[in-house]
Amino acid sequence: MNRAMNRKVLLLLGPIAGIVMFVAVVWTAKVFVGHYEYREPYRPPAATADATPRAEGLAAEKADADSKARAKPYAEAEYRTFPVVGSRVAIWAVAQLHLLFAAFVLAVPIFAFIVEAIGYKTGDPRYDRLAHEFTKLLSVSFSLTATFGAFLTFMLIILFPKFTNYLMSVFSPTFLPYVLLFFGEAFFLYTYYYGWGKFHPLVHLGLGLGLNLVGTAIMMIANAWLTFMMSPRGISDTGAVLSVWDAVFNYTWMPINVHRFIANIAFGGSVAAAYAAFKFLQAETDEDRAHYDWMGYIGNFVAISAFLPLPFAGYWLAKEIYAFSQTLGLTMMGGAFSWLFIIQAVLIGNLFLAANYYLWLGMGRVEGVQPLQKFIKYLLIGIALCFMVWATPRSIIATVSEVRAMGGSAHPVLGYLGVMSAKNTAVNILILTTFMSFLLYRRTGKVAAVSWARTGHAAQLTIFAATALFVIFLGVYGYFVEATVRIKLSVPQVLSVLFAMVSITAVDVFLFRGARKTGEVRWGRIPVISQYVLIFIAVTFTWLMGLMGYVRSGLRQHWHVYGVIRDQSADAFTPTLGFATKVVSATVLMFFLLIGVVFWITNLHDRPDFEARTKARRREGSGGVSPEFAVETAGEHRPTS
Amino acid sequence: MRVPLTLRLGALVLATTGFYTYVGQMVPQKEVQPPQETSLKGDMTTADMVKVGREIMEGKGLCLTCHTIGKTGALRFPDLDGVDARAKSRVPGLNDVEYFAQSMYEPTAYIVPGFPPAMPPINKPPIGLTDQEILCVIAYLQTLGGTPTVTLQTKHHYNSGTAAATPAPSATPPGVSPGGTQPEAPLKGEKR
Repeated sequence: MNRAMNRKVLLLLGPIAGIVMFVAVVWTAKVFVGHYEYREPYRPPAATADATPRAEGLAAEKADADSKARAKPYAEAEYRTFPVVGSRVAIWAVAQLHLLFAAFVLAVPIFAFIVEAIGYKTGDPRYDRLAHEFTKLLSVSFSLTATFGAFLTFMLIILFPKFTNYLMSVFSPTFLPYVLLFFGEAFFLYTYYYGWGKFHPLVHLGLGLGLNLVGTAIMMIANAWLTFMMSPRGISDTGAVLSVWDAVFNYTWMPINVHRFIANIAFGGSVAAAYAAFKFLQAETDEDRAHYDWMGYIGNFVAISAFLPLPFAGYWLAKEIYAFSQTLGLTMMGGAFSWLFIIQAVLIGNLFLAANYYLWLGMGRVEGVQPLQKFIKYLLIGIALCFMVWATPRSIIATVSEVRAMGGSAHPVLGYLGVMSAKNTAVNILILTTFMSFLLYRRTGKVAAVSWARTGHAAQLTIFAATALFVIFLGVYGYFVEATVRIKLSVPQVLSVLFAMVSITAVDVFLFRGARKTGEVRWGRIPVISQYVLIFIAVTFTWLMGLMGYVRSGLRQHWHVYGVIRDQSADAFTPTLGFATKVVSATVLMFFLLIGVVFWITNLHDRPDFEARTKARRREGSGGVSPEFAVETAGEHRPTS
Repeated sequence: MRVPLTLRLGALVLATTGFYTYVGQMVPQKEVQPPQETSLKGDMTTADMVKVGREIMEGKGLCLTCHTIGKTGALRFPDLDGVDARAKSRVPGLNDVEYFAQSMYEPTAYIVPGFPPAMPPINKPPIGLTDQEILCVIAYLQTLGGTPTVTLQTKHHYNSGTAAATPAPSATPPGVSPGGTQPEAPLKGEKR
């Protein structure tokens, strides 16, 4: 009865409230218009106005300023300043954020496509679910990439208008294809994501392939612009365009394409692994922990697999930089940036240590792993020694008395470890050692059952030992030969390591075909610290990308386009490494803040609907969680496939 | 009390970036300014030119990024100690001034065996020394194993003179015919 009465009152109050609100709005509008409407101010007739000397002076000044402003010819601004941090740091931060998101958006489709293809081939639905889980991160990241791209373009036009205008004049034929490809990328990305499970698997894989091809093409066009700035080609001495194709296909274009392609995969893998680690740490069920442990493992596997050949792509890039200009190459390795490579050594050493540590922790998932764990200490010693050699500088920071005592800026013994012969050797052995860690991990929980198992193991060990000895021999030999010979020794070092990795893997594949299982892999049974290691790896990768982005761009020093267009701005100087690392850190922190937002938005997908939650809360209030809600949320909490 | 996951992860990210920033502060800190245009007075003496030449080699010319003075061992580029003595007779037909000028304007014309053809033309960007600045560098190089003789009026093949047009007092060694093709055996550790 009461309820019916209340409803009648509400029905009556509704129109009354509506009328009152309408009157209130009309009245407010009238008051505002009345107050703020423009009215001609009262002015006394000219004859009665006071013509004081001050008023006349002010009027004359105003008229003079007006006429000067009108007479001023239009002049194009060369540079504009950005408040507080300056133009360079502003551009630096925005470009870096754009590149980090772009790298992620380009990388994730590559391994999502590969994982989905494996799932299609094997028929294992776990792979399909994993690929979809990776792809869920893409949608928000794509929007952020595009936003930062637009932000960067505006910042370039505003802060460096003349230089941007020049770049546009050189590369104008590439802009339209770039925009069209961007449309293509959006089409493929959204159909790939929203079309999951809606098409025939092969059609869906085709969309994934299209997404990767278009993404790679976009990256290659953008790479042409930035590599042109470092190693210009196709222009005259004064900067006039002779051939756009030559400007695109400059010295460092292809090495950067390859280097970025591989580095993006490594970076994307590490961020996806960090996402899995985040979800693992949040997980409340064993099932979820097992899934995210596996996802983290795959992400990290992808990251480290791509990371191993990365130094070789780096060699190629450095070689092309030297081929374009020895001055540029020497500025990089022997001049203002030489100490940056010591910081890089610390980062890469940490990456190798962390990646190996994660693998060793992961061995604990597998039953019967003890026979292999005894090798870990030797691998650790090898990695630590290589790390120390790589991080040894040629010249040591020392006081005057210390320099005198040493007989120079280089230490009499350790100084020999600071040169390229030692460093090349260290990094190659580091790669070999990490590769051995992978092999050990691969064979946990199984024993080779083929008849030639003993010979196979011996062959693998022989290849590994021979390669290590060969690499060390070339490293030592480098101290006794002329520079022209020494430079070329890095090629056989790299090739022998690549040969070892390929041949040992090939033997391993056949060796463990039909292997006998000695223990099951218990996904999710891994120490929690392993998940923090994955996040540490992602942060280190990101920081490394920031640092190497700085050296690639900073190498030009006081040139916008190296040797052609000089930087005349107040920011033309090369900052200290300390300053550069602060900017890199600030950018990395911003990136992780934003990637946290990406993770949060992606997580919303798995949350129960608002209505269901509200219902459950009401029922909780009236006595416990409803079984209906428990089933509903459990179903929704599971990652979708 | 259990620390929330977001805070734990935030602390890890902060600590990692903080550590790398710290490493960045531990290496030598050098701010590199763009090279300033050297103002050379017309009445500079040879002694003044030597001083300016040394400054250019250390700074704008970037010479000492690659070359050393007084170092031995497995060098990547030739050491410049005593280079003037070698320059007088290295390439038949060229005295030390012409040889140094050729090294800077046309560095691939002669490569010291054992070293890579790596030197860029010094008169062109990105280094882009002027003719007068190059003369100052030559004046300084002459002090390394010889006596400086050049002035700002010295002419050579590359600054509108002709080859050995204004030979320095330390002339072409006897017995070497101009345009000869048989270079003298290089000294170990020499530049270019």
